Amino acid sequence: MKTRIALYGALRDADPSGHVDLDVPAGCDIAGLRQLLIRHLRQHAPGIGAGLVERSAFASAEEILHDARSVPEGVELAVLPPVSGG
Amino acid sequence: MDGLHVAVVDIRETKLDIAAALDFVYDPRFGGIASFIGRVREHNLGRIVTGITYDLFEPLALNTFRAIGEKARDEVGEPLKLYIAHAKGDLGIGDPAVIVAAGTPHRDEAFRACRLAIEAVKHEAPIWKQEHYIDGDSAWSEGCSLCEEQRESELQRQGETGHGHAH
Repeated sequence: MKTRIALYGALRDADPSGHVDLDVPAGCDIAGLRQLLIRHLRQHAPGIGAGLVERSAFASAEEILHDARSVPEGVELAVLPPVSGG
Repeated sequence: MDGLHVAVVDIRETKLDIAAALDFVYDPRFGGIASFIGRVREHNLGRIVTGITYDLFEPLALNTFRAIGEKARDEVGEPLKLYIAHAKGDLGIGDPAVIVAAGTPHRDEAFRACRLAIEAVKHEAPIWKQEHYIDGDSAWSEGCSLCEEQRESELQRQGETGHGHAH
């Protein structure tokens, strides 16, 4: 399935469109999605270090999705680098 | 939760309103009002800052603010009124970036609720700060990971080195 991932903060530099679309195999969990994104960025945005994605969280509009969660079908996700509000 | 106001304010449309925050948390039952206002400062880590751009994942930020409100209520109990608003967009030096205000019957609960809320906004809400410097350079601030597995290992490292949060 295709999963769209919105980019925020320092990860916006990865794609001027503000998102990336990944092909995600059925049954993939968030840890797997993280590896897919690292691989995608290595190819398409080599300036973004893998370490930043490793420190980032994945989320839906409602909640943070931890590594063991399955990637929800048909839901746009967001990848959230370390936060620095206030 | 009643008595909670949360907002993300696009500063292209309007500014954060400190008076509105204090009005919101006013209640005839309350003798204690505590507030925190975070403003853009002109320097960071030895560099001269000319402005900040705030990026937010708005729906989750608002959900997080609401969860912070529940946590504050669990911590200090009823009655409590709490106001949390964060700016989005390009801010200049001195512009308010975040406002938290808490109203309670006595000062201790007001201070505690206000402190809990601002710390949680800084460490748990999906908000990113990009600083712009006088030399034309810009940089996203280092921050706190929201990734559970990373948070655990970062907390462990901080415990070992005694390093706390500077931001």
